[in-house]
Amino acid sequence: MTELKRPLPNISKESQGFWDAVQQDKLVIQHCHSCDSNIFYPRRICPHCWSKDLGWVEASGKGTIFSVTTTYLGTTAEFSDELPITVAWIDLDEGVRMASNIVGCGPEQAKIGDRVQVVFEKANEDFKLPFFKIVEA
Amino acid sequence: MGKIAIIGYHEVPTQINPERTRWDILEEVITGAVRNAGIDKDDIQGVINVAPQAQPDLISQTAFGLIPEHFGLKGVKDNMICNAGGASTTNCVRMAEQWITSGMAEVVIVPHTTVQSDIPAEDLISFFAKAPMHPEWEFPFGMTFNGAMALITERYMYETNTSEQEMASVTYALRDWGSRDPMSLFFNKPQSMDDILNARKISTPLRAKDCNMLADGGGCLIIASEAYAKKHCAKPVWKLGHGSAFIGATPAVREDVYWRESYKKSTSEALQQANLNVDDIDIHEIYGAYPFSQCAYVEAVGLCDEGEGARYHAAGHTLLGGKTPCTTMGDATGRGHTGSGVSMAFYCQVARQLRGEAGDNQVDGANKVMVVTAGGSGMNALTTIWGAE
Repeated sequence: MTELKRPLPNISKESQGFWDAVQQDKLVIQHCHSCDSNIFYPRRICPHCWSKDLGWVEASGKGTIFSVTTTYLGTTAEFSDELPITVAWIDLDEGVRMASNIVGCGPEQAKIGDRVQVVFEKANEDFKLPFFKIVEA
Repeated sequence: MGKIAIIGYHEVPTQINPERTRWDILEEVITGAVRNAGIDKDDIQGVINVAPQAQPDLISQTAFGLIPEHFGLKGVKDNMICNAGGASTTNCVRMAEQWITSGMAEVVIVPHTTVQSDIPAEDLISFFAKAPMHPEWEFPFGMTFNGAMALITERYMYETNTSEQEMASVTYALRDWGSRDPMSLFFNKPQSMDDILNARKISTPLRAKDCNMLADGGGCLIIASEAYAKKHCAKPVWKLGHGSAFIGATPAVREDVYWRESYKKSTSEALQQANLNVDDIDIHEIYGAYPFSQCAYVEAVGLCDEGEGARYHAAGHTLLGGKTPCTTMGDATGRGHTGSGVSMAFYCQVARQLRGEAGDNQVDGANKVMVVTAGGSGMNALTTIWGAE
């Protein structure tokens, strides 16, 4: 496999569950049991009600592109081998928005409103990242 | 009339010039501003320095009092540094206001310098790519400052049916102001619409001309109490109102995607405090660092309908001679980006316009100016209103 040189996330105690799930090809979202809200990104306390009664729900992995850009220049050196890279904000069907990359298509092919599905790709031998691919509506 | 006034200012041209050191610039802007105000240096009782981005040595030096010591400011009672990203100057001015209205000081200086051109390009790109981006949820996906602003711009154009040409007209307006401003990196370098539309792609839809070129610069404001300003200054520039709204740190999870709602909140608060209507404002100075923010602002304050911001620019309304001149030093797009110092450049420009000293960019009869600044990747909207009388 070709290893990505990009920087990997610094995983914190509160986000460990998210990244553990990704390594098992699952996308999970933090959930507050007190106010029944989905939370992205994971935090130590619920930003809505300050409850610490937090857990995880498995997401469908499906979503819609809210916005998208193809970056040609201006990233740090670790990304230079991947340019151009397509970055998007994705509205997951579970009601939260996350940033990720759109893979499996050329530059400037992904469009706002495209339906996408999560895919899990290896950044290196030990770590996967959640990316998204365009799927038929 | 307000409780505080800008009674002096000085600025160095924004340039890429590593031979001009941080302390060279500080010496020029502080002595220049004191001379501009016509005051005695020992009348200065407070120093509030804008924290320059990516300048750790200077941050430590100025945080721990090297400015009053270096300049021999015998009257100084306190010294501090403020970092709120690009909103730092507004917060420095507000802190100066608190020091003055609490009786601690009559005269406070607010200096700033950033020298970025002696930092290796790779380090600088890395710093500005990472600094305002969430280290875990944005940066590992290749998100940069340009990339985040590109995502907002793309969505804005999609929702408002704004064309590439209409969006480029905002950059054209900013570059037009910058080309006539001797403090701008782009002074005497007018850009055509073709130049803008044919520039290389950075992050679609943003091209190189839409993004900020990093540069060096600096400025200094002298802020004084009402009594001191009346006694010592022929042309004080009075602070009339202030408004604030916080949006959130991480662009991907903000509800106020285009910053419109925060612009509405902070400008209406400032206008109410100043007892003014938006129609009373002669110039709108908008520090958003990217063209979409100029659109969102003119929509938010009601200069045009929501979604019509780029077309408002395309019609020429924000240019010199237009019905509502906006951002008369060109924002970071038309000026060059000096870290947290772009907001300093805005306040120097406010003083210039209200004193009739803005040269080829002077707006005739300018009497009330509203300026809004933002920090980080747009975490807040801080609005102040200034008047000449």
